[in-house]
Formats: sequence, C-alpha cells, structure tokens
Amino acid sequence: MVDLLEIEAVSASYGRIQALSDVSLKLQEGAIVALLGGNGAGKTTTLNTISRLVPVTSGVIRFDGRAIERLPSHEVVRAGVSQAPEGREVFKDMSVRENLDLGAHVRRDRAGVRADLDKALDYFPALKERLRQKAGTLSGGEQQMLLIARALMARPRLLLLDEPSLGLSPLLVQKIFAIIARLHADGLSILLVEQNVAVALAVSSYAYILENGEIALEGRSEALRNDEAVKRTYLGG
Amino acid sequence: MTLSLFILFLEQGVASGLVMGSVYALLALAIVIIFKTSEAPNFAQGDMMMGAAYVALYLLVFRKAPPIVAIPLTIVVAFVVAALFRGLVLAKVAKSSGSPVNLVIATLGFSYVLRGLVRGAGVGDTPRTFPPLASTDSIMIDQASVTILDLVIFGAAILTMAGFFWMFAYTKLGRAMRAVGMNPKAAQLVGVNIGRIHMLVWGLSGVISAIAALLISPKILMTADMGSIVTLGFAAAIIGGFNSLPGAVVGGFVIGVSENLVGLFISSRAIVVAPFVAIMLVLIVRPQGLFGGRTSIKKV
Ligand SMILES: Nc1ncnc2c1ncn2[C@@H]1O[C@H](COP(=O)(O)OP(=O)(O)OP(=O)(O)O)[C@@H](O)[C@H]1O
Ligand SMILES: [Mg+2]
Repeated sequence: MVDLLEIEAVSASYGRIQALSDVSLKLQEGAIVALLGGNGAGKTTTLNTISRLVPVTSGVIRFDGRAIERLPSHEVVRAGVSQAPEGREVFKDMSVRENLDLGAHVRRDRAGVRADLDKALDYFPALKERLRQKAGTLSGGEQQMLLIARALMARPRLLLLDEPSLGLSPLLVQKIFAIIARLHADGLSILLVEQNVAVALAVSSYAYILENGEIALEGRSEALRNDEAVKRTYLGG
Repeated sequence: MTLSLFILFLEQGVASGLVMGSVYALLALAIVIIFKTSEAPNFAQGDMMMGAAYVALYLLVFRKAPPIVAIPLTIVVAFVVAALFRGLVLAKVAKSSGSPVNLVIATLGFSYVLRGLVRGAGVGDTPRTFPPLASTDSIMIDQASVTILDLVIFGAAILTMAGFFWMFAYTKLGRAMRAVGMNPKAAQLVGVNIGRIHMLVWGLSGVISAIAALLISPKILMTADMGSIVTLGFAAAIIGGFNSLPGAVVGGFVIGVSENLVGLFISSRAIVVAPFVAIMLVLIVRPQGLFGGRTSIKKV
C-alpha cells in the first residue's frame, strides 16, 4: 500500500535552535497516526514543515508520492493537506461564516463548497447558530471546532490536527474525539498531534513519540498503550 | 463678524474642505491598506502619487494623449510599478530581515528613487501646471462657491472609495486581503498566496494614489516635491486610528474641513498648522484615534 504522507530524515531549525533532527514518519491513506511528545519536543514544528510555514534544512516530504518540501504553502493546501493549528488562530474580527469561507479559499467548485459547508456544520452543530458571530468572541472550545471545520472546508485528503484537546473540558475533549473518529470513519487521513497520550493512542493506529526534535519511539498504538516505558513516562503509571 | 458672514465662511469652508478632504481621504486609504497588511507605514506614498502625476502630465501634455487614454494608462502604470516594488524589492527585504524598520527604510529608498527619476527626466525642476480635466467655472451651492472641477474631484473620490470598500468587504480578493492583515499565518494555512496578496495591495494602493494625483494636481503647482502633500494623508490616517479604513476616510474630511475653516476664520497663514492641531485634539480626547481599535500604532 502506498503511503499518503512520507517524511524522510527531515531536519529544521529556528536560527541556531535545531528543532528537528532526522525525523522520519509515514502515514497510510485512511489512517490516524499520532505524533506525541512533551512541550517543546517539536510536534508543531513537524506539522509546520509539512504545511511549509517552517523551511526544512534537509530531508524529503512526500505527499501522495510528490515531493512537497519546496512548494509554497498555498500549493500544499491545494495539493490536499490542511492544518488546524494550535493556539486559536482564527480570523478573529471576521464572522464564523467568513472564517469557513476562507477555509475554502483554494477551491473553485461553488456547489461543492456549499455542500461541504453543510457537512462541516453537521459535524459541528454548535457553529451553526453562530455563523454571523465574530470568531474572536467564540469560546475556546468553539474556536477549536471552528479551526477544524475551517480546515475541512478545503476538502483535504490529509488533515493535520495540532492539539485539538488543549485547554478543553473533559466533556468537550470527548466530543472532539468523537468527531475525529467520525472523520476517520468517513475516510479522512489524519496526523494527530496530542499531549493527551491516552486518548491519542486510543483513536490512532500508529504513533510516533518525539523527544528533543528526534523520534524517540514508534510503534502500533495498541502496543505502545501496553509498553511499560510509555506507561511510566506518558500515561502516569 | 456678522452672522451672515459667519454662515458664508462656514459654508465655504465646509464645501472647499470636503473637496480637499476627499483627496486626503484617498491618500489616507492608500496608506492604511498597506499598513494593515504589512504592518509598516509606506513612506513612499507621497512620491508614488507624485510619480503618477508626472506620468499623467507626460502623457497629457508632452504626448498630447487624450484623457480617455492617459487616465487609464496612468492608473495601470501606478499599479504595475507599486506591485513590482513590493514583489521584487520589499518581498526580499521582508524575507531577509522581516523587521518593520527595514521595510520602512526600503520604502524611503523607493521614495528617493521616484523623486530622482522625475528630477533626472528634467520635468520636475520647474513648477508646472497640470491641465484641469474638468471646467473651472464656478457654481454656487447656497452661499458657497465651488468649481465644476471641485465637484468632479469630490464625486470621483467618493466613487473610488465606494468601489474600494465594496471590493474589500464583499469580494474573495478583498476577504483574502483582510485575512492577511488579520492573521497572516492563518491566511497561509488556508492557502492564501500571501506574496501575491501583498503585491495586489500595493498595486491597489498605487491605483488609489494615482487617482488622488489626477484629482489634486490641477489644484496645486506641480514640482518634484509635491508628494509632501501626503503628510496630510498621514495626518488623516492618524486621526482615524491608523488601522481603520473608515477612520482614514473620516480623518481625511476632518483635515480638509479644519484646514479650510482655519484659513477663513483665523488666517491663511495658520492653515499649515491646522492639521496638527486637529491631530493633537483628537489624540488628547481619543489616544487610539477616532476609529482605532485595540491595536493602535504600536509598531515603528
Ligand atoms: N518561532 C520559533 N522561534 C524559535 N524557536 C522556536 C520557534 N517555534 C518553536 N521553537 C522552538 O523549537 C522547539 C520545538 O517547538 P515546537 O513548537 O515544535 O514544540 P511542540 O512539541 O509543538 O511543543 P508544545 O507541546 O508546547 O506545543 C522548541 O524548543 C521551541 O522553543
Ligand atoms: Mg505545539
């Protein structure tokens, strides 16, 4: 089976700070793969090298067999990779509706966009009543949902999710992960960055653990759930 | 002063002020759209206007081109030059340093280049008069006397602003421009080509400056230093909060009207200080400007 996403020995740095060294990772079409690790491990940087916000210093990133590590960021979105970033990066003075429309910026098929808007609102009914509200006035959980819905509006083949559960109540975390499971069931491929290791290992089929910009451990999620070292370090016993 | 004279001065000051104010409003708009999307004020704005004025002068007077050809051509040249400056020069500066100070310095450099070109071409040394594109016959509005040209200036400026605001609010391009200004990172993540948007914003700003140039040039003496009139556009932008587009427009009218009222009621020698008194009054009452939001001029 061909890999949808293939990262090969990618390194990246911010000035002198080496953020990633020789990171390699694979994701098969239709899978949820988890990328885990503590604060500052390099998870966000990895997603941003894929989205082309952070340049790679060496290595190759292939999406659907095509090298994308030198493309401009908008070409990556056009190719079918969308990111829901961490840190509430909504267009805060625009309405929820405009945020969603911007999610479809790279698309030309009006009818398809219309249908996908209905679909996104079906996944996230909470946004439906707030279409005219300014995105900056949404609650943290609602903004998180808006970010995922906005990413879906590009009709991606691969969704990059950066800590979707960060700062949410346990109930909302459950809700978000139920939606992630639904997206998966509908056939979407997802690269999931999480600090909530237990939940991430439960929904994913394969996982990578980053430490100081390097892949420290990888394996089938099921196996990692029962791994003593993982339990000790990440699952609290 | 008698009451009837007071009313006459008031009406005349407001009428003339609205005409000049509409041009200041255009200049302020051109400044603010660039500031909103690149977080750096464009100090070449005045000379972009001056350059466009000389392009128009060259076409109309030296080449005897009819206005129907010269006006669109001037606007196209302004668009292309401004967009190329952003795409070829500023993009490199932004990439290599990214600091707003370097961007500002680059715009200053652009401003000297434009002035140098006009001087070098030998047309900017002697003051010249720009042919008015409409009749300068006067008509009366109540007691105020304005020319047909004044009405054309005002009407064209209002139409330009209306078209611009419509584009900004309702088109896909306008939405992408707002997105880049609000959150460039998020704009990249949804697939906006921000380099292209920056070029278009600069091009648009060039177009607005060129329209301002065509409107104002018949009313002033043209020299290579005529770009300094954009100081009043900056003043208007500051009054409006510097990052508010409606604020820029209102600021333009405030400056135009206060200039003219001061000229009539106080002294024509006090005109030059009027805008700065207006700025100070506004900033004392509302430090963030009339329409300024949370972020005022904190950068640069
Ligand atoms: N813009 C930046 N400039 C300089 N250093 C950065 C920048 N962004 C990240 N870093 C550094 O790169 C390293 C990796 O950061 P990254 O954001 O990828 O971590 P992360 O795994 O996503 O962490 P978190 O879980 O806290 O989000 C960290 O040491 C961080 O300090
Ligand atoms: Mg992170």
